[in-house]
Amino acid sequence: MAAIQLAKKAVSLPPTVRTLASGVPSAPLVNLSVRELVGHGHAHGHGAVGPRSDIPPQWVSSVTASSTSGLVSKSFANARTTGVFQKRLLHSTLPAQIEPQVPDFSHYEAKSDATNRGVSYFMIGSLGLLSASVAKSTVTEFLTTMAASADVLAMAKVEIELGTIPEGKNVIIKWRGKPVFIRHRTQDEVQEARSTNWKALRDPQSDEARTKKPEWLVMVGVCTHLGCVPIGEAGDYGGWFCPCHGSHYDISGRVRKGPAPTNLEVPQHDFDDANGLLVIG
Amino acid sequence: MAGFANLFYNTVVKRNSVYVTSIFAGAFAFGVGFDIGITSFYDSWNKGKQWKDIRDKYVQDS
Repeated sequence: MAAIQLAKKAVSLPPTVRTLASGVPSAPLVNLSVRELVGHGHAHGHGAVGPRSDIPPQWVSSVTASSTSGLVSKSFANARTTGVFQKRLLHSTLPAQIEPQVPDFSHYEAKSDATNRGVSYFMIGSLGLLSASVAKSTVTEFLTTMAASADVLAMAKVEIELGTIPEGKNVIIKWRGKPVFIRHRTQDEVQEARSTNWKALRDPQSDEARTKKPEWLVMVGVCTHLGCVPIGEAGDYGGWFCPCHGSHYDISGRVRKGPAPTNLEVPQHDFDDANGLLVIG
Repeated sequence: MAGFANLFYNTVVKRNSVYVTSIFAGAFAFGVGFDIGITSFYDSWNKGKQWKDIRDKYVQDS
């Protein structure tokens, strides 16, 4: 036990140039017998005069020249293996001592996570709600600018006094630059129009769907074939006949014969019963 | 407060479909309500100046 303690005695060793992989210090080509130069015992700025600090003192190790065995080195201490020295650059303890303390943010934190979350989502939803309203309003207003203004709509209406049209007569008026046929149909004509098997027609449409009042038939007087104006009370079916290409329309304005693809168009119209007016448009 | 927030989160926000749907429904309701509110404010602000307020003085319904 005592011998081990003796072996752990700390000593000063000369600095080594490098360290071998085994951990043994290696200092090749060091002249260990160099001593202070003769006649150099004066100070001219290179430190105090004395024994060199890079040479171990004589009581630790010595190198002597023996006549029999040449150069003999004697060391009286076990040198510690130095190993490969690596700096530990990662550390955690030192900055905590150097850096100032992180401030206390607890005053600024939310008191309740649940409330914070609810309020956050509520604000997000409210912004979405407002954005959706703005988008909807923008689109609606933009589309409104494309609609016809009130004065244009007022000019686009035509009023006809129905009392001036006797039964069984046609009236042709101009509405938005197009002729409009108004036919005051007799009861026989209504019967004929309603009894037709309209499902077998080219453009199947019932007379009830085409008229608002059975005795009044209102149609745009433009042939659906190529745009001629048909002649009233003519044709094979007692209705209208287009002279251009020979389309026949019946008393309900439905195409029955000829090249026309569809029935005569029924414009939007309303009856003003109080004043006895027909309003087209 | 936290209970109300949790209720709101669990019923409305948790499913995105419900969230988005409620946002659009709320936008519709908001648009209607905003329109009504602004109109009533306008009418009350201009009380006695609009035609519908003074119509009785000039037109006798026969």
